[in-house]
Amino acid sequence: MKTVAPRKDLLSFDDMSREEALAILDTAKPFKDLFTRSVKKVPTLRGKTVLNLFYEPSTRTRTSFEIAAKRLSADVTNFAVSTSSVVKGESILDTIDTLQAMQVDYMIVRHGASGVPEYIARHTKASVINAGDGYHAHPTQALLDAFTYREIFPDLQGKRIVVAGDILHSRVARSVFDLMHLLGVEVGTFGPATLIPPTIPDYVKVFTRFEEVLEFNPQVLYLLRLQLERQTANFFPSMREYHRVYGVTAERFRRIREMGMYIMHPGPVNRGVELVDDVMRYERSLINAQVENGIATRMAVLYHLTPEVKSRSGETEDHA
Amino acid sequence: MSTRIFQQARVVLPGNAEPESVMLRVRDGRIAEISPSLRPAEGEDVIDCRGHMLIPALCDAHVHLREPGQEDAETIESGTEAAIAGGFTRILAMPNTDPPVDTGGMVGFVQSMAKSRSRIPVSVAGCLTKGREGAKLAEIADMADQGAVMVTDCNHALQDAYVLRRALEYTRHFDMVVGVYPDTPALSAGGVMHEGTVSFRLGLPGIPAMAEEIGIERDLRVAAAVKGRMHIQNVSTAEGVASIRRWKARGVNVTAETTPHHLLFNHEDLRAYNTDFKMMPPLRTREDQEALLEGLCDGTLDMIATGHAPHTDFAKNLDFNHAPFGIIGLETALCALHDALVSPGKLSWSLLVERLALAPRKLLGLPGNAFEIGAPFEALLFDPEGKTRIDRDTLKSRSFNTPWLGETLRGAIQNVYLGDLTL
Amino acid sequence: MRETILYQGEAIEALLHKMARDLHASHGDKPLAFVGIRTRGVILADRLVEILSPLRGHMERGTLDISLYRDDLDNLAALPHIEGSDIPFEVEGATVILCDDVLFTGRTIRAAMNVLLDYGRPECIELAVLADRGHRELPIAATWCGARVETRREDYLRVHFTETDGRDDIAHYQREAP
Repeated sequence: MKTVAPRKDLLSFDDMSREEALAILDTAKPFKDLFTRSVKKVPTLRGKTVLNLFYEPSTRTRTSFEIAAKRLSADVTNFAVSTSSVVKGESILDTIDTLQAMQVDYMIVRHGASGVPEYIARHTKASVINAGDGYHAHPTQALLDAFTYREIFPDLQGKRIVVAGDILHSRVARSVFDLMHLLGVEVGTFGPATLIPPTIPDYVKVFTRFEEVLEFNPQVLYLLRLQLERQTANFFPSMREYHRVYGVTAERFRRIREMGMYIMHPGPVNRGVELVDDVMRYERSLINAQVENGIATRMAVLYHLTPEVKSRSGETEDHA
Repeated sequence: MSTRIFQQARVVLPGNAEPESVMLRVRDGRIAEISPSLRPAEGEDVIDCRGHMLIPALCDAHVHLREPGQEDAETIESGTEAAIAGGFTRILAMPNTDPPVDTGGMVGFVQSMAKSRSRIPVSVAGCLTKGREGAKLAEIADMADQGAVMVTDCNHALQDAYVLRRALEYTRHFDMVVGVYPDTPALSAGGVMHEGTVSFRLGLPGIPAMAEEIGIERDLRVAAAVKGRMHIQNVSTAEGVASIRRWKARGVNVTAETTPHHLLFNHEDLRAYNTDFKMMPPLRTREDQEALLEGLCDGTLDMIATGHAPHTDFAKNLDFNHAPFGIIGLETALCALHDALVSPGKLSWSLLVERLALAPRKLLGLPGNAFEIGAPFEALLFDPEGKTRIDRDTLKSRSFNTPWLGETLRGAIQNVYLGDLTL
Repeated sequence: MRETILYQGEAIEALLHKMARDLHASHGDKPLAFVGIRTRGVILADRLVEILSPLRGHMERGTLDISLYRDDLDNLAALPHIEGSDIPFEVEGATVILCDDVLFTGRTIRAAMNVLLDYGRPECIELAVLADRGHRELPIAATWCGARVETRREDYLRVHFTETDGRDDIAHYQREAP
């Protein structure tokens, strides 16, 4: 039987091999198949406790993890943390010590500051899944994107993707870059020069005009959500201009449709900014598929991780 | 009358690049004789220094003692004991305490506390502006009267070139140095590390090198125009070094410092979000690191200061974004520099002594302690083959926020001498 | 380990034919669904269907991956790779012949029945195994069994199929006497 070595945490793709990434993605497929059964639940994590530790509100991601964990029969708890607790003199470490005492097996961590999940992972025996930290990483988002991409193109080697928008402030962009590169996808990017710093990885091609994106002819155009407050910090002059120069306008959408390009977006979408409303009804928009695939992918990630609290004896017993 | 003879020590003498083996006679706290051989007289203490270096004791022009206000991180007593452990007999205490040292009264208060709690003399810096707010000059003459030797707002960079201009002008009558932290706050605001490939990868807000470069250039232009006495704290960038070199060549009365950690680390060392690598200015690139060493060797940078910045475990255990800037440095400076620069031959002993002992004393207006007849004897005995373990049990500082925690450095300080005393 | 080949080649064929005949006789024309447990249970199901197809016409086929239902996930050195189950027929009301190569503790069968029941409520489940080596830990018995083999708890009993192992046999491995 083919096996992959256990891993405690999923924080970023820094220490992941292509083989391991593919193993997780391959595992997500049978999980997705479960959703067609009358009972959508499997007993894999029965008796285990999964904790959602969201320092930043995100109903979508939290719910996706919650459903994933429940379909694996885990007990799920949402730990409400106020972002002001840091100010009040309670360090994250204090919180972790408290949670450690509650015998949690998996912690799903989202935090506005980069590095917090890594910090927590170093201080707990539980498996930590980074559900988004600062501008650093959002690995499960990238995995569900790759899973969605592979449903259409099973072999991603040599395929192309262009990630468009605010790269500077995007953990999604960093993780998508890393994972796609790991899987052999050629990666390009497109957006205002203020939001695509020269410090991005060398393997990312930077396009300055939309025509160049079309010439590159990616199978997938991945639009990032634009945080509306960037406008006030002078990263670009106005939403109108952003949409005209860097968004998917009606005219550009026609070209995209002609070329048969797929559209992805991590959600939630700013209509009229990143894309025109028509894109949402486009038959090659994968935006809904991404949301749906989030659950199976996160189940695969939960299955893939091994908390230190588990006692793995090390011997593989014949299970007959 | 007490006399001591230091036998067979390897000694860095003024004007000599390489240490040589000589004997020193110290009488009443001053160097009485230096000679290849000395006969001990009746009743003289003889200290056998075979295999060891005897060098002038160190002086640190940039130390945060945290008292009053943050005694959980450091006190005058613990901070000065850390200084002694690191081979320092003189330090300059920074004024960003709570309350800040921004009046003559506060300078006097710190001086008197230091007298009763410290085994070494402590020089005091006052604030440049009231409350370090960058708006109104603090009462500089009052502070000078109480013995302050520098005014600085520490890492609150002056936003306002007008205030800097007036400060540099006003201090000219008071034998007072204006210390500046060169920065352009509009460019560095919100940043927590050097802006570059590593900050992109870690997703951390960056502090661009140009924030410091513009700051240095601006401050130097103001200093050149008004002919004040300026000292630039914490230089971290290659372009900053180049600016200082250019303006010094034009005769600007400026000195500049860098730190051991900026010489020995760069932003690549920051990968694991370890807050013991979070400092202001941030660790820059390898190229900056090399330019700093070059500037240190050619004299563009006059001195090494540790910027000793104690923070409690609680503060440094916050996440990287929220943790405070700064690391402790008194107890690691000499061994770390010896280990990484002197031992492999990248920095000579004589230059290390100049930058870490003699130049800072000059900045503080103290008599020089180079090994010359009649000079005050402030020295340390160093075993280059010894080992210094940096950990919680050995550190004298109340705080442990150092990137060398858990490491063993080559070289060990055996004794520190202040006049007739062995500290 | 000492290897003893108990059955091989045509002897295996004979066991399979006997099982198929008995099964057919018992069920008559009733529609049957053969569900194999990965990996060698799937081969067993294939072989039985192949032998029965001239006699019975269409039979439903399915595959079970029990990895997610194992009760020993905490104790494994490495996580099993999940292939997934494939049940392309309506389980509700079906007569399911659950197939596995070796019956031992019964835990695999327990897990397989749980998987199956999560797809729906079959009319009945019967169990077909090529070899039963005893040492049950759960109250489970084979309905159809090719061979019963005396083993010690610490022995290994392996079924090999040409499709997966390049040979057809039942092999018994015993630790050498000290």
